[in-house]
Amino acid sequence: MDQNADASFDPSKNYDEDTLAQQREIEKEIAASQAMVSQLHTFDEIVEEYSQEDAIYRQKIEDLKSRFKNLRKTRGDGNCFYRAFGFAYLEKLLNDGKEYKRFLDIAQKSKDELIGLGFPQFTLEDFHDTFMDVVKMVENPGTVDGLFQAFNDAGLSDYFVVYLRLLVSGHLQQNADSYVYFIDGERSVKEFCSQEVEPMGKESDHIHIVSLTKALQIAICVEYMDREGEKCNSFKFNPFESLADDTDTAPAFTLLYRPGHYDILYPL
Amino acid sequence: MAQKRIKKELVDFGKDPPTNCSAGPVGDDLFHWQATIMGPTDSPYYRGVFFLTINFPTDYPFKPPKVAFTTRIYHPNINNNGSICLDILRGQWSPALTISKVLLSICSLLTDPNPDDPLVPEIARLYKQDREKYFKVAKEWTEKYAQ
Repeated sequence: MDQNADASFDPSKNYDEDTLAQQREIEKEIAASQAMVSQLHTFDEIVEEYSQEDAIYRQKIEDLKSRFKNLRKTRGDGNCFYRAFGFAYLEKLLNDGKEYKRFLDIAQKSKDELIGLGFPQFTLEDFHDTFMDVVKMVENPGTVDGLFQAFNDAGLSDYFVVYLRLLVSGHLQQNADSYVYFIDGERSVKEFCSQEVEPMGKESDHIHIVSLTKALQIAICVEYMDREGEKCNSFKFNPFESLADDTDTAPAFTLLYRPGHYDILYPL
Repeated sequence: MAQKRIKKELVDFGKDPPTNCSAGPVGDDLFHWQATIMGPTDSPYYRGVFFLTINFPTDYPFKPPKVAFTTRIYHPNINNNGSICLDILRGQWSPALTISKVLLSICSLLTDPNPDDPLVPEIARLYKQDREKYFKVAKEWTEKYAQ
């Protein structure tokens, strides 16, 4: 029996610790090899990620190439949607003073709403302060390079991601009645938020995107690249569409979704 | 980043400490705290004083603090080494949480063990099958180790 000791359950051992240690190693590897937000890439570089035999994906890259000029990658650490969203949106605000003012107002007011929902005040203020510091980098003289530096500085970038996560959680909880039927498993909206939204590294799904675009009133477009069909499927998240004065709002930016991951697309 | 946040937590904790809990750094090292929890009244841990260690990782608050009991305790979710099986100390940690919230959650775990996700299966079994006996043993341990 003794020689099998390694394979047997040892109740005095905390297996969670081993799992966590292994997760950390994987995270370190990813962090060492991928920037949180990358420089611009061309599709000719991207297509090389797929083998010659992978005709469907290669064809879809051609489709993207006919409509988009560049792609900016984000780190595959489970926070990619939030990071892509934040960077692409602030980059857009560099050239849209009116939208920036509107956003600044929403961003400033959001703090008290979230505190009202019961998030611990001092941590929330901490994240909000850093979030606003990053947002205000858009103001004169805001540069793409400045945002690029900020989004690759863990101290700023991860704080920014946390605040976006809290905004999603806040929106879902405030509108729990509308979202409860879209949550899988027997969980309340609050449970879903503490399990799938608030922890760092938890991946985002349709419900997270709907919620963030509604919380901030920003329309975005996502190009879905999977094995179905010949072209990427475009899907627009438009928080204004249910309003009476339904105007065809142009999306603020476009993200590329490849199974499990979001990057930023730049139109021709 | 971590140091600034831990300092803030220390100040915040001092201003509004959770009931029946205390916590603070051991010596000069901000990343290493000691905490105490007074056993909740409606539990077999009542009248016990339990010591815990708190170690903050360098990337705190993005990673959870490591919290463990140093006082022995008879509980389905706490093992011999003092390791605690609690969702917010694992996958459900959020950077918006605080040490104060963690200690409160541990207090709740003392009152309401979670036998369906046990760290010590034998205690969980006893808790489910013979609550009275579990209560008796846990109380004995409290008297022996925590008073």
